[in-house]
Amino acid sequence: MNCESVSKLIPLYFYGELPPEEEDRLEQHLHSCAACARQGESQRALHVALDRRTMEPSAALLAESRHDLMRSIYRDGAPVMRRTELAERGGLSGGWAAWLPSLGAWRMPLGASALLALGFVTARLTAPGAIPSFNGASLTPEVISSVRSVQPAADSARSGEVQIVLDETRRRVVSGQMNDSNIQRLMLAAAHDENNPGVRWESVDLLKSHSDSSPVRELLLNRVMEDPNAGVRLKALEGLKAYAADPEVRKALAQVLLRDDNAGVRIGAVDALTAHADENMVSVLQSVVQKEDNGYVRRRCAKALKDMNASVGTF
Amino acid sequence: MSPKIDEAGLIRAVQRGDQDAFEQLVRAYDQSVLRLAVNLLRSQEDARDVFQEAFLRVFRSIDSFRFDCSFHTWLYRIVTNICLDYLRKRKVRKEDPAVVDTPEGPLDRMNDFEEEAAHADPERSLWNRQLGRRIEGALDGLTPRERMVFELRHYQGLRLRNIGEILGTSEEAAKNCLFRATQKMRAELGDFQ
Repeated sequence: MNCESVSKLIPLYFYGELPPEEEDRLEQHLHSCAACARQGESQRALHVALDRRTMEPSAALLAESRHDLMRSIYRDGAPVMRRTELAERGGLSGGWAAWLPSLGAWRMPLGASALLALGFVTARLTAPGAIPSFNGASLTPEVISSVRSVQPAADSARSGEVQIVLDETRRRVVSGQMNDSNIQRLMLAAAHDENNPGVRWESVDLLKSHSDSSPVRELLLNRVMEDPNAGVRLKALEGLKAYAADPEVRKALAQVLLRDDNAGVRIGAVDALTAHADENMVSVLQSVVQKEDNGYVRRRCAKALKDMNASVGTF
Repeated sequence: MSPKIDEAGLIRAVQRGDQDAFEQLVRAYDQSVLRLAVNLLRSQEDARDVFQEAFLRVFRSIDSFRFDCSFHTWLYRIVTNICLDYLRKRKVRKEDPAVVDTPEGPLDRMNDFEEEAAHADPERSLWNRQLGRRIEGALDGLTPRERMVFELRHYQGLRLRNIGEILGTSEEAAKNCLFRATQKMRAELGDFQ
């Protein structure tokens, strides 16, 4: 072992990256060579100096980062359901479909999603033709085809023909202003379509900016508490935020905070609830502080209680 | 990660779409990811962005995780790639953030070098402050890759073999990188030792 090779090994020696036999040889060399021993000391001093440098992220930064992340995932439109899963399910093709929430709450029957997929594929076979509008909303019919079965024709050996059985359903495209009562009625109905969370999600997303209308607000209250899909509940929650001071809305938000099994929804509920100091909520917040798993939700409740000079615990 | 947690089970649950499992998985690693980003980038805002981007990438691509390396290695590949991008962009912009941003306002990062005992000794305190600046200067003199290898070995305590795996290179290349990094720093800090 010469001085040149020792010089390269010294950093590895201090990081414990040398095999034991090489370590022995290096130590022997350092004992017998003053120049290399000085290099060793220099490396040791560097370690001591560098060890003083670490910047430990603050607990607040960690909490904020976690909150941002979960918010992106649960609330702000990150793709909670991934594209590959949708593709595997033969379902929706791209666009908003890739941003649909919660696999667990995906309840569209397999048959329905297969039909929908075929609907997209065979859409080019359709023959749209405009029909007159009613009440300001225009309607366009389309025929959607899905393949029921494919088999060789009776005389296929001779003719080489196949027989394809198509199921055809008529699709109508309705368009109109959101404040048109017919359009709103259709959207309120779509927001309850139990077979299609995607349609519910889109309907609630569009309706949420019309929460000044009481049928819409009623729908949002219903969806935030009852919808099996967390993404739909989050959308409904967004629409209710502007009414977070309303007693009925607060009652619903308290229920969501206590009962919802999705942390993102509870985060949304606690943000909306604690934006307004409300002594009627003390017992709810205390209960959440005791039971809640999510650190952000717990801290928001504890802070709201502190701001109201209420105790965090129940006695 | 605590050995009590069944990591493979958690990952499979996330792959099935279980969001709570994803949250648990994040909790197991997020502190070390944030520490790495803060130490490397010395900006809380950038560190927060790296944190967000890294875990969102994990979330979006966990289907492609096939257990052919440890989850830690896979995650760190993602994190180090993002951090390297930031470091490279910063090199291009020739930024030298002597002051880091914090929620409480700008903070001179060199203040971290104040030792408690040094408060009684202004001369010692000044020496520490100067050393801190020199160390930051020395670290800024490293290439992004040297900086990364050094950070992973010195502050994160990872073995060089693992670092090579994370950075998609050999253990030998990681060794050479660490050697170059320490040489440069010893040269830069020589008269302070």
